Amino acid sequence: MRRLSTYGVALATCGLILTACGTAADDNDSDNDAAAAECETVQLEGDPQVGLAYDVGGRGDQSFNDSAYAGLTQAVSEFGIAEVTEGEAGQDESEDIREERLRTFADSGHNVIVGVGFAYSEAVDTVAPDYPNVAFAVIDGFDPTEDDVNCNVAYLGFAENEGSFLVGAAAALQSQTGTIGFVGGVNNTLIQKFEAGYAAGAEAVNPDINILTTYIEESDPAGFGDPAGGQAAAEGQYADGADIVFHAAGFSGTGVFDAAVAADKLAIGVDSDQFLTAGPEQAQHIITSMLKRVDTATYEFIASAVNGEPDQGFTTFTLADDGVGYSTSGNFLTPETIAALEDYKAQIIAGDIEVPTQP
Amino acid sequence: MTTIDVEARGIGKRFPGVVANHDVSLHIRPERVHALIGENGAGKSTLMKILYGVQGADDGEIVVDGRPVTFSSPTDAIAAGIGMVFQHFMLADNLTIAENIVLGAEKRHGIGEAAKREIRTISERFGFGLDPDALVEKLGVADRQRVEILKVLYRGARLIILDEPTAVLVPQEVDALFANLRELVGQGCSVLFISHKLDEVLSIADDITVMRRGTTVGTADPARATKAELAELMVGSELPSPATAESTVTERPVLRLETVTVADETGREVLHDISLTVHAGEVVGIAGVEGNGQSELVEVVMGMMRARSGSIHLGDDDITRLNTRAVRDLGVGFVPEDRHRHGLVLDYPLWENRVLGHQTSAPAVRRGLVSRKGARADAQRIIEQFDVRTPGVDTSARALSGGNQQKFIVGREMSGEPRLLVASHPTRGVDVGAQAAIWDHIREARREGLGVLLVSADLDELIGLSDRLEVILRGRLTARFDPSTVTASDLGEAMTGGGVVAS
Amino acid sequence: MSEREKAPAGGSATPAARRIAGSVVSGLLPPLVAVVAAMLATSVLIAAFGGSPGDFLQVIFSVPNDRVLLTIINQSAMLSISGIAAAIGFRMGLFNIGVEGQYIVGSCAGAFFAGSGLVAGPLNILATLVVAALAGAAYASIAGLLKVFRGVSEVISAIMLNYIALTMAGYLVTKYGQASGYTFTTERLPLDAQPLGFKIFADAPGDVWALSSLALILGIGYWFLIARTRFGFELRVTGASSTAALASGVNVKRMTLITMALSGAVAGLVWMPAYFGSVHTFGVPENFQAGLGFLGLAVALLGRNRTLGIFFAAALFAFLSGQSNNLQSAGIAKDVIDITQGTTVLAVVVAYEVVGRRRARSEAERVSRQLEAERAEVVAS
Repeated sequence: MRRLSTYGVALATCGLILTACGTAADDNDSDNDAAAAECETVQLEGDPQVGLAYDVGGRGDQSFNDSAYAGLTQAVSEFGIAEVTEGEAGQDESEDIREERLRTFADSGHNVIVGVGFAYSEAVDTVAPDYPNVAFAVIDGFDPTEDDVNCNVAYLGFAENEGSFLVGAAAALQSQTGTIGFVGGVNNTLIQKFEAGYAAGAEAVNPDINILTTYIEESDPAGFGDPAGGQAAAEGQYADGADIVFHAAGFSGTGVFDAAVAADKLAIGVDSDQFLTAGPEQAQHIITSMLKRVDTATYEFIASAVNGEPDQGFTTFTLADDGVGYSTSGNFLTPETIAALEDYKAQIIAGDIEVPTQP
Repeated sequence: MTTIDVEARGIGKRFPGVVANHDVSLHIRPERVHALIGENGAGKSTLMKILYGVQGADDGEIVVDGRPVTFSSPTDAIAAGIGMVFQHFMLADNLTIAENIVLGAEKRHGIGEAAKREIRTISERFGFGLDPDALVEKLGVADRQRVEILKVLYRGARLIILDEPTAVLVPQEVDALFANLRELVGQGCSVLFISHKLDEVLSIADDITVMRRGTTVGTADPARATKAELAELMVGSELPSPATAESTVTERPVLRLETVTVADETGREVLHDISLTVHAGEVVGIAGVEGNGQSELVEVVMGMMRARSGSIHLGDDDITRLNTRAVRDLGVGFVPEDRHRHGLVLDYPLWENRVLGHQTSAPAVRRGLVSRKGARADAQRIIEQFDVRTPGVDTSARALSGGNQQKFIVGREMSGEPRLLVASHPTRGVDVGAQAAIWDHIREARREGLGVLLVSADLDELIGLSDRLEVILRGRLTARFDPSTVTASDLGEAMTGGGVVAS
Repeated sequence: MSEREKAPAGGSATPAARRIAGSVVSGLLPPLVAVVAAMLATSVLIAAFGGSPGDFLQVIFSVPNDRVLLTIINQSAMLSISGIAAAIGFRMGLFNIGVEGQYIVGSCAGAFFAGSGLVAGPLNILATLVVAALAGAAYASIAGLLKVFRGVSEVISAIMLNYIALTMAGYLVTKYGQASGYTFTTERLPLDAQPLGFKIFADAPGDVWALSSLALILGIGYWFLIARTRFGFELRVTGASSTAALASGVNVKRMTLITMALSGAVAGLVWMPAYFGSVHTFGVPENFQAGLGFLGLAVALLGRNRTLGIFFAAALFAFLSGQSNNLQSAGIAKDVIDITQGTTVLAVVVAYEVVGRRRARSEAERVSRQLEAERAEVVAS
């Protein structure tokens, strides 16, 4: 009995603390009023100084982050930016730490800040209002509070479905077996965009094509860093008759390539031209890569800031502006395939083909 | 095979507060089966451990083939030709016989065919009939024992120490084992055979050495000795005269067991049809060779085991189905057999050990809260009343000597005026002073009406304290004696299953 | 827990005072040595890979700004709760490696419940805490039941359950949550159930989350339970010697079940400060901080399962993580801090083992010396 009453005291104390503090509803929230306001151009103070916060993996991941770095390097040398700082997300870090990373940039005078990866969306949304004279960008970003627009944030998205359409078409054109595969890192709407475009492209070439789809993880981001999982998924698809597998699985893709080498089948890379970054043995099995020009997006955003009119709001990089595309390194794609792909590309740009974003 | 001659001279071994061995002398001659007999607690296992290098001796020397040797580990002992087979087998079930034997001795004949050949050779030579490729998990107990012996032989042992090897065997297996042992000594090995089953000893041994109270008390020639003589040697000839104080036994039963039968997890019956009554003011002593059901008797009374049939009453309360907590709460003190495992938390200070087993009653616990003050004060009382030698109540139990630990436990278990005290070997491993003190306390409590169920291997204790002796043998109460008239040989024979069978 | 009586104030070098001073030293020295050893090891490693240990130490030992301080406080609170969850298991000899899984399940269940707004207003907070604790307890009980009735090691089953927890939470959120960006989250916490925090720095954004105080409450509760109650005593005894516990009348199986559930209940609460204080929704990965459960095990080890020790260990871990953000600017990968944390735990385990043995030996010697002296007196008189 005594023990129970002790718990009671603890709970009561707990309640006391909570009620004493009140809740957010008691606060008069004025932020929402700003939503209606029109956005003006962000006025940077002083010379542009760039802060770039990478996603988990950081520089050297031969993919997403490296691509952002390439864009940064290009901008730095082209515009002679003096002050550049990079930061990197850690595994299992808290939201606060991400925010703190951005604030540290802003506080130390950086006025052009890029968060690489959608994981920065919430952090930028929280931090940006406190620094109205700093231009923020989130690659693959989204606005978690859409009715409360942040005027100094650019959300840089990509039409991954369009690029995937083309490599899907390439796969269908060059498949010998009539069965192709897709390996996704994590089953979320972003990766589903890849899948949808890939399937649409393949079916445009061959309506009867058989497409195998595997996601390494349902929600655990570990799916992007799990080469063994990627390998297992691809091995299964090759065993089931696929001769070309497209992966959208980040670092797990190296497992897909290993499976391709082992089975002596083919694979399609993602984000950057993976023929160039993969090992020599793997490269011989990578027929093309779906390019997602994170470097272009990064470069263009910094350029806009340098030019005094930082991008704001949502920007989607598409086939039309070469924000997405396909690579031809290694000459695996036949001239006929390339011709067909260019034809599809023109149709997509012209709007004759609408590529779905949901499978 | 060369023979081996091992002699222990004047071995002594002391543990804090206890002398485990003193002036132990033993001569194991070549090609002989030498039996070492004695009650549990007589010091046999300490001697074995010293011979096998598990522990070092404080005094005396071991002489192998005329040369004094010192063993700092079993490896040294094996190198000198001494190997041991423990009562509990140490075999990996999921490995083959050959793998088990080679494990840890890979250097002798490798791990391949050469090793298997060697194993086959030894097995054939001594008639073991073991297939090196058989899986150990498929083997019966007797075969496992042979694997253990083979393991020792494989490592080059010429003296094989067997610790109560027949305890786990059925009679036919015992015969087979003895045939193997004969084969061993016939081909140059020596065997040290440890037992307390007298008829077995008489049938296999060439020489017999008897131990009592930590020392070797004599040798016997199996060709001439009788069981009665051996039993007398084992338990000592002069029995203590029972307490002269007038009987305090009342007519009021405190503990009543009626036709209690208990089975272990495997379904084997370990207690059969036990009926027993302890009255207020009475000490009932349970005599018997260890492993005949004493532990189970204590556990079933304490609610740590369940009776399959029969009933147990504490006064008017039926405790047959009650758990340990409930039994204790009804006024039962419990001095467990193994004070380190069951009686104390060694790393806790004495005052916290005062709470142990008394978590539901004042002064240690009040209304669900541990009363630091109450427990400390009462621990202090025990320390003073029972003369526990310790700097204070904050000293951890581990730092105390065995005798002082035991005095503390007895003091604790007699707190709160229990109706019944279940005491299992209350003075085992305790020095003489502490022993006398504990006996005095039990006698005093008995005068005030406490009933005591006393399990002990110490005949001095049983005869000195008990108002009545019950002998337990293979899970049955087989004999009843009056401690004032019983003789050592009667008791010894009843305990070892020879001669007299009283009803 | 054998917390000794405090020394009489101002006591000179009496034997008792010396002993207490000794136990303070033996209690504080190991973690201190461990931290120093860990810093050294990390520095050596950084130097070996061409970095500057000086920069590393400078960044780590710089004074954190207010914002980082807030993060450190809030993170320590969550780590403390996680450490307490682990410690409850440790105290009775259970290695509840499933704190992580129970933490995920508790967080997920709590966030679904709170977001649903079934209970209106601030009461939602209390109700959610109960739901999160119950969910954690239920999940831990799976491992507990398997151990008691099927003899499955709680370590093995809990590791498996950890994997299941994250996948299951992801599945549930995808199926029953709402889309947010590219992933799914639970419905947002209603405003009227978002407690205001403690605004200790006027200028810094953010605050000490209201429910970070939960760490204090649970810490005191844990201490009281373990050190003062009969239940706590039985739990400790079972951990120290299950055989002695059995003989003293403790039902060890029942104790295992209760302890597992209790540990899981606390684990279920770990994320509540962040949920109510800032995140307000649950979604893997960005709206959840995976890994706190595993860190709790390390915190409990480092803190020797004592309330104050756990607070200290949690603060140390949170401090190191908070400071590591700035390592990047010194050209050092922030992941080295994981090495520092790991080495600290390893070193402290070793150090306590050494101290423990030495203490046991010296106590035995002291007792025998004292008894010798008494005997000599008796003989002399």
